[in-house]
Amino acid sequence: MKATDPILELDAARPYFDQSALPNTSFDLRLMAGECALVVTHDADRATALSDLCSGMLDLRRGSVRFMGLDWSELGHERAFALRGRIGRLPQRGAWISMLRTHVNILLPQLHHTRAPLDTLVGQGVELARQVGLPGLPVSRPETMPEADLMRAACVRAFMGEPRLLLLEHSISADSDELTTPLLNLLTASLDRGAAAICFTRDNSLWRTQAFPVAHRLHLLEDGLTPMRSIKANTRRSIKTATMRSP
Amino acid sequence: MSGGLAQGAQPREAPIEEPPLASRRGDEPPHRWLRWLRWLAATGRFAKRRISFLCMLAAASWGVLREAIRPLSWRRTVRHEFRITMRQATIGGLATTFVTASLAGFAVVSEMLYWLGVAGEAGLAGSLLVTVLVRELTPLLVGLILLGRSGMLTLTEFGMLKVGGQVRTMISQGIDPFLLLVLPRTLAMSLSGFTLGMLFAAVALVMGYIVSAALGTTQDSLWTFLDKVVSAMTVRDYMVIPAKLFAIGYLVGLSSCLTGLTASSEDDLASLMPRGFVRGILVIMVTSILLTLAV
Repeated sequence: MKATDPILELDAARPYFDQSALPNTSFDLRLMAGECALVVTHDADRATALSDLCSGMLDLRRGSVRFMGLDWSELGHERAFALRGRIGRLPQRGAWISMLRTHVNILLPQLHHTRAPLDTLVGQGVELARQVGLPGLPVSRPETMPEADLMRAACVRAFMGEPRLLLLEHSISADSDELTTPLLNLLTASLDRGAAAICFTRDNSLWRTQAFPVAHRLHLLEDGLTPMRSIKANTRRSIKTATMRSP
Repeated sequence: MSGGLAQGAQPREAPIEEPPLASRRGDEPPHRWLRWLRWLAATGRFAKRRISFLCMLAAASWGVLREAIRPLSWRRTVRHEFRITMRQATIGGLATTFVTASLAGFAVVSEMLYWLGVAGEAGLAGSLLVTVLVRELTPLLVGLILLGRSGMLTLTEFGMLKVGGQVRTMISQGIDPFLLLVLPRTLAMSLSGFTLGMLFAAVALVMGYIVSAALGTTQDSLWTFLDKVVSAMTVRDYMVIPAKLFAIGYLVGLSSCLTGLTASSEDDLASLMPRGFVRGILVIMVTSILLTLAV
């Protein structure tokens, strides 16, 4: 992968309609290192489906999805799994593996993909846990943990191992206020390191109040990923036309 | 009048039955054919489902063997899962195996020694015990122990993982469920099958001898008795017994894993467990019979 290559590139990518909750249209997006895209959607399933598309988990009818310069459809089974290990995801509903304890859940991807010593991984996990407001790595079972702590643990899992792409499906909302600042700090640090990120949100205004550099502001609508500026311009134009026509 | 209608009388129309929509269109078969085709389709679906599981079992068997010989497959997470399953299946199954083997020894060995003594055919004891107890009964009972203790646990765990969307979570993290779950569990259960089988045969023979000696139906020492059993074993037995134990453990593990991982969103424990149990029993019986016939 060259330094000038995008981290993630969706080039007229059109998944099979019956495989996902995405609209039947093509998706285009180009994210360079250090860029963050904000995707506004009210449909949680669509956010998950778009994340799946970026992670190469959906078959494409047309177009391509490239991550770190590699086309998912050209990769073999093993390489695709290995490449997916470079993506950090913050899913909507935790998505915890119930037969494992929370700390194993957090460390599992790194234990599986790397040969880093266990102590190093635990140290990294504890450091991240403290940054999001946990005293350390939680060792209880996920189903016994409070929702807020589970969300913090999910943040730790997403940022473990310095991922190159972050897919933050969990929408930051007003009621997750305590988590917003540490999450944005972690995100900023990751972007500074050269990662790219897609943040899904239901509330665009919340992100306007944060002093956070967002490279792309997009709406996930029926006609795909649409830049917010064009929607606003279209709306403004149509209002103007309506005003001029009215007597 | 009989042939015609009275003047002014309106012809009485016989009630005409409305033909079914399918036959009116003319492009679909009549009703009774439709029923026949439906029955045929249901039979086909039933058979297809069974055959597809067999094909999947064969493909996954090959997949596990292929992955098992690749050093890259044995990552620390896979090794950890293998160790946990070995402990659960082997150490956890020791007590059950010991009790079942003791009962089998009491029921089969002592009874056999008694009746062969009565019939004056005590010399056949060794070969009969090898054939009936060690070669046929041991793999079956060990397979059942494995299925009940570990196979059903695997099935439940994997079924819940699949239905709860946690398998998809693993895939999104770049973790291959086949590598992390199916490979270590299948191989651990195969090894566990062999270990428990050897223990089962030894305990059953010794317990059978103790009961027979206590009842006075055998005059041999324990070593003489065991020597007779070992002497009765042929090269074929040395091949078929370990092969059966390894294969039954392997296929019970694999069948449980696959049944769990192919659960659909409509499945729950009430539908998964009987399906897994039936498949497990079939796998044990068919493997045992095929290996007996083949070797």
